[in-house]
Amino acid sequence: MFFLYNLERQVTLHPSYFGRNMHELVTGKLLKDVEGTCTGRYYIITIMDTFNISEGRILPGSGLAEFTVGYRAVVWRPFKGETVDAIVTSVNQVGFFADAGPLPLFVSAHLIPSDIKFDPNATPPQFTNNEDMVIEVGTHVRVKLIGTRAEVGSMYAIASIKEDFLGAISVNGSRYLSK
Amino acid sequence: MSTSNLLSAQFDDSEEDDDFNPQPADLSDAEDAGGNDDEDADNQIKRDAARQKSKGQVSDDEDGVNRDDEDEEGEGEDTAPRDEDEEEDEEEEDEEDEEITGHRRKRRRERRNQFLDVEAEVDEDEDEVDDDEDENELGANFIADTHPDDLADLPAGGETDDRRHRELDRRREMEASLDAEKQAEILRQRYANRNRSSRGIGDSVVVPKRLLLPGVDDPSIWAVRCKEGKEREAVFSIMKRIEERLGTKDELAITSAFERGGTQSTMKGFIYVEAQRQADIMTALDGLMNVYPRTKMMLVEIKEMPDLLRVTKTPSLEPGAYVRLKRPPKYAGDLAQVIDVTDTGLELRIRYVPRLDYGLHEDTNAPTDAFGKRKRPMAGPRPPQRLFSEVEAKKRHAKYLQGRPDTKTWNYMGDEYVNGYCEKEVKVQTLITTDVNPTLEEVTRFASGAEDGTENLDLNALAASLKASTANASYLPGDIIEVYEGEQKGVVGKTVSVQGDIVTMAVSEGALKDQTIEVPTKGLRKRFREGDHVKVIGGSRFRDEVGMVVKIVEDRVTLLSDQGNTEITVFSKDLREASDSGGAGSLGKYDLFDLVQLDPSTVACIVKVDRESLVVLDQNAQVRTVMPSQISNKLEKRKFAVATDRNGSEIRLDDVVKEHGGEARSGKIIHIHRAFLFCRSTTSTENAGVFVTRTASVATVSAKGGRIAPTNVPDLNTMNPAMKRNPQGAGSMPPPKTTFTRDRSIGQTVTIRKGPYKGLLGIVKETTDDNARVELHTKNKTVNVPKDALGFKDKVSGQSIDPNSRGGAGGRGGFTSRGRGGLGGATPAAWDGGRTPMAATGVERTPAWGTSRTPAGGANGGRTPAWKSGGDGGRTPGWADGSRTVNPYDGSRTAYGAGNRTPAWSSGAKTPAYGLSDGFAAGSKTPGYGGGDSWGSKTPAYQPQQHQSESSWQNQPASNGWSSNAYDAPTPGANASAPTPAAMNAPTPGAYSAPTPAPYNAPTPAAAPTPAPGWGGGWGAPTPQAMDAPTPGAQQGYYAAPTPGAYGVPETPAANWQDDGPRYVD
Repeated sequence: MFFLYNLERQVTLHPSYFGRNMHELVTGKLLKDVEGTCTGRYYIITIMDTFNISEGRILPGSGLAEFTVGYRAVVWRPFKGETVDAIVTSVNQVGFFADAGPLPLFVSAHLIPSDIKFDPNATPPQFTNNEDMVIEVGTHVRVKLIGTRAEVGSMYAIASIKEDFLGAISVNGSRYLSK
Repeated sequence: MSTSNLLSAQFDDSEEDDDFNPQPADLSDAEDAGGNDDEDADNQIKRDAARQKSKGQVSDDEDGVNRDDEDEEGEGEDTAPRDEDEEEDEEEEDEEDEEITGHRRKRRRERRNQFLDVEAEVDEDEDEVDDDEDENELGANFIADTHPDDLADLPAGGETDDRRHRELDRRREMEASLDAEKQAEILRQRYANRNRSSRGIGDSVVVPKRLLLPGVDDPSIWAVRCKEGKEREAVFSIMKRIEERLGTKDELAITSAFERGGTQSTMKGFIYVEAQRQADIMTALDGLMNVYPRTKMMLVEIKEMPDLLRVTKTPSLEPGAYVRLKRPPKYAGDLAQVIDVTDTGLELRIRYVPRLDYGLHEDTNAPTDAFGKRKRPMAGPRPPQRLFSEVEAKKRHAKYLQGRPDTKTWNYMGDEYVNGYCEKEVKVQTLITTDVNPTLEEVTRFASGAEDGTENLDLNALAASLKASTANASYLPGDIIEVYEGEQKGVVGKTVSVQGDIVTMAVSEGALKDQTIEVPTKGLRKRFREGDHVKVIGGSRFRDEVGMVVKIVEDRVTLLSDQGNTEITVFSKDLREASDSGGAGSLGKYDLFDLVQLDPSTVACIVKVDRESLVVLDQNAQVRTVMPSQISNKLEKRKFAVATDRNGSEIRLDDVVKEHGGEARSGKIIHIHRAFLFCRSTTSTENAGVFVTRTASVATVSAKGGRIAPTNVPDLNTMNPAMKRNPQGAGSMPPPKTTFTRDRSIGQTVTIRKGPYKGLLGIVKETTDDNARVELHTKNKTVNVPKDALGFKDKVSGQSIDPNSRGGAGGRGGFTSRGRGGLGGATPAAWDGGRTPMAATGVERTPAWGTSRTPAGGANGGRTPAWKSGGDGGRTPGWADGSRTVNPYDGSRTAYGAGNRTPAWSSGAKTPAYGLSDGFAAGSKTPGYGGGDSWGSKTPAYQPQQHQSESSWQNQPASNGWSSNAYDAPTPGANASAPTPAAMNAPTPGAYSAPTPAPYNAPTPAAAPTPAPGWGGGWGAPTPQAMDAPTPGAQQGYYAAPTPGAYGVPETPAANWQDDGPRYVD
C-alpha cells in the first residue's frame, strides 16, 4: 500500500561545501541517499519535498555539518494479505518467483491451485492448467501476499494464487508486456 | 467376585469420565440416571460402585469377570487418556474442595426430594410459587393431605375427590386463560429451575467424590502377602471361593479383593483385601494357594486407600510406533519400530537395524571353555548400524545362515532378518517406550524403500512417537497455541505463562474468548498460519532453519527456508515464531556465503551450514561437504576487489552480472577471487542460489550504485573536489623531504654552538634530518651534532651565514647580499659572473631540483637556472621581487630562503602556491635571479655557459628575450649589478600578482631602473621565451606569477602548476 509519509533523516556535509547552496546540496544528497531504497519495512519510492532543514551542527571530530531534514515521501509498504500484480522472473519445480516492483516474491507450488501444474517440458518451463492459465517467465500475475520478510535493506515476500481472481492476468490480451 | 469387579468398574469409570473415583452415592441420582440412555454405561458403573461402597453388596459375578477381561484388552489402547485423566482428577479435586459446602446443601435437599415426586407435584403446583420454597410446604401438605384426608375423609364421602378434580379443572382453566407470555414466563421459571438443579446434579457427579472417600466406618483394607507374580491368580481364587460359599453359612465376609501387580508395580507381591475385620480375611484366605495371610498383614491407612486404586499408565504401543532398546547392550539406545503387539500388550514384535560384524572380529582361535563353548569375546567398539547383508554373512558365517533369497527373509545366528532389519519378539520391559524422541536421521533408517526407490516414511507413526514425548515441546509466553485434545479441544489462544506441564493461555477465539485457562501441554500444539516467519527448533534435522510457512496440514508444517529456498516439512511443535529476520546460519566462525580456503589452490563458498558440517561450492563448481576442520582458512571479503568482465568493464562486489553463454545465470557478485566470481542469484534454489563463474564469461548488468553512469552529485562527506589543489591527489608528488636532495649543509663550514664540542669549527660531512656529522678542524675526528647546534660559517670569510641558505655559501652570500645588503652586496658576491657558472654547485643542484630551486642555490650559478625561473618570471618581476622581496617579504617568508626553497620544488605546487603566491612570486623571483640570469644574459658570455649547464638555458631565450627587450640594454648595464634583481622590481610584475609586487615595488623603487629589465623579462617571458615562459605563464593565468618556478622548472614544478591552473580556472 502506498503512503505519503513524513520522514526525517540526518544528512552530513563536508566543510568544503559550506556556502550559499548548502541546502541544495543537502537536498540533493537526500534524494540520492534515500530515493529508491528499502528500509526493511517499506520502500521509499520518491521524495515529494523537503521541509524544515535544520541548522547545521558541526560534528565534533570530523568537522562535518549535520543537518536534520524532514521530508515527505511516497512509500510503499507491502502488507500481508495485500493483492499485488507482479511479473514472473523465474519458474521452477517448487514454484515461481516474481517481482512486484521492487519486491521479489515467491509463490510456492503449495500455494498454486492444484489444477495448475508444473510443466517442465514446455519451453520455457511453465505452470499451466492446460487451459487459459499459463505462467511462465514474463507473465503478469496477480498474487496475494501471505507473508513478508524483512532483511537489512531488502524485503522478500511469499504469495499465493490459490484464490479466486488470482493468477495470470492478461494485459489487453498481451501477456508479455514486460518483454 | 465383587473384588475384581470393583476394580474394573472403577477403571472403566475413569476412562470414560475423567473421573476416577466413583460417583456420589446419591441413590436418587442413580434412579434418575437410570432413565437416561446415554449415560447408562457410566451410571451403571457408578451405581455398581456406589452400591458396593455403601452396602458392601456383591454385584453379579459375570459382569465383573467380563469387564475385567475387557479391561485387560482395552488397556493397551486407552492409556493415554487415562494418564490425562489422572491429572485432571487432581485438579478437580482441588476445585471441589472449595465447592463442597455448597453442594452438600444441595445434595441434601435433593435427597429429600427423591422421596417425593416433586416433578409430578410441581405440575400441580401454584404457578407463581417458587419451587424451592414450596417443596417443603408442599411436601408437608401433601403428606398431610393425603394420609389424613384419605383416612378421615373417605369414609365421609366422595366429595373430597370431587373437590380435587374441580380444583384441577379450575387451575387448568386459569392456565389457559393466562396470556401466552405469562405462561412462557411460568414455564421458563419452572424449567429453568429444573435445569439448574439438574445441572447441579451433573456437576455434583464430579464434585463430591471426596465425600466418597473411605472413612472410619468403612471396611478396612489389608495388604496380604502373596507370591510375586501370582497376584491375579490369588484374586481369582478368592473370587471362586466366594462363589462357592455364596449362600452357605460360611459365606466370606470380605467386601472386595484386588491386586496391583505387574512387573513395574511397587505393589507387587501383595493382594489387597477389604473387610470389616482382620479375622474375616484370615478365614477367607485360609488355605488358598500363593497367599500368605499368616505372615504379617498390613493395614492400609485410610488416607492411602484411594491411592491403591489409582491407575497407572502403561505405555500404549501401536504398530509403527518407535521405541528404544534397553537390551542387549549392543543395541542399547537404538531405535526400533514396533511392527506388532500381542493381545496382552506385554510382548511386541519389533524391528531394528542390526549391528553385525559377521564374524569379522571373531577370534577363531579363542580358547573354548569347559563346555566346549567359545567364550564370548568382549566386543570392542560396537559395529555400526547397517542393514543385514546376506552376502556379508555368507563370507564367514554361511553355516549360521538360513533362509531364502527370494523372500528376503533370513535367519542368521538365531535372529530373523527381514528386508535387512532384524525382527524380534521382545517383552515390553526391555524397551524404553517413553520419551523416545526419534531424530529424523534415525527414523529415515526405517523408511521402507519402495520398489521405485522412493522412501516411504510413515509420518503419522513418527508423529505419534514424537507427540508422546512432550519433553521437547516447549512453549514460551506469546506462542499461539491450540488445544487439539481433551475437553477444550479447538480452543486457540496465546500462551501467558508456563509452569511445568501446565500452560496458562489467554483464549483468543470462540466462546471462551478473553478468558484465561490452564491446560496441560499434552493436548497442545502450536499454531501457525501461512506466511508466518518461523524458526525450527528442537530435535529436527532442520534445526535452526528459518523460513516462511507455506502449508499446514494438521500439525505438519511446510515452510520455505530463507536460506536455501527449499521446502521442508516439520512438526509444529518444532517450530517457533521467528521474530528476528532470518539468521544466516553459522558454524563456528563460518557463516553462510563465506569464502573459505580449502587447500592452497582451492577456494569455496559456503552454501549451507549444517549443525556439524558445511556444504561448500568450490571454484570448480563442485559441491562438497566439509567439516570445519577441513577448512584451512576463511578469506575475508575484500570489499574493494575489482575485476573486469568480458567487455573490459570494471566489476566489483555487489554488481549484478550475467553469464554470457552457458546457462546465462545472473546474480550478484558476492566474492571475487582471482578469475573466479561467486555470485548469488535469488531465483535459484540450487546451492542457496550461489554459482561460480569466471570473470571473463560474465557481463555487467548493473553496477552497484550506478557506477557505470557516475552521478553528478559529489560525495558531500568528503572534500569538495573543486577545492582540491591537486586533483590527482597529493600522492603524485609529495613534497620532498628535506633530505630529498643532497643536504646543502654538507660541505659547509660550521661552528658547533652547543654541547661538548661547543665552539669548535668543522665541516659537515654527512647529515640526517636532525643530525650532522661534523669533521672537526681541531681534531681528526668526526662527531655527531644536532643540526640545530650548528652555526654556518662562510668558508672564506668566516662570517655567519643563514643556515637555511644551505646553498653554497656563495649562493648565499650572493643572496644575502642582495636581498638585504642591497644589490651591491650581492653583486660582489655574485661576482659571480664567475661564479655563476662556477656555481657549479648551484648549477648542479639546479638541475637536480627542478629548476625552481636552482634559482636558489643558483643564486650564483644558480641564477642561471633561476633564470629560467626568471623566465617564468616572465614575471621576472617576481624574481626581481625575489630580491627585494626579500626584504619586505621576508617578513612573510624568509624572503630569501623562502625564495630558494619555494621554488625549490613543487612547493610551488603546493603550499606556497596560493596564498603565498606573492611570497612565491618572491620565490620565483628569487629565481628572480632570473634577474641574475638576466645577468647572465647580460653577460652574454654567460649564456653559453649556461647552456652548458642546461638545455633549458637555451630557452633562456628569455634572456634573449630580455635582451631583445630593450631591457637588455639595461641589463647589461645592470650587469653584474646584482641589483639587476632589483630590477626585478618587476614590481611591475607585481602588477600581475597584485599583492606581491605591490609591496615590493615600494621598497625597490631604487632598483626601478633595473627592474625594467625584469619586466621585460616578465613580459618578454611570454614572447621571447616562446615556449617555456609563455606557456606556463599563459596557462597559469595569474598564477603565473608564482609560477615562475613552474616556468623555470619546466621540468617539475611547471607541470604541477599547469595542473593547478585549470583548476583554478574552474
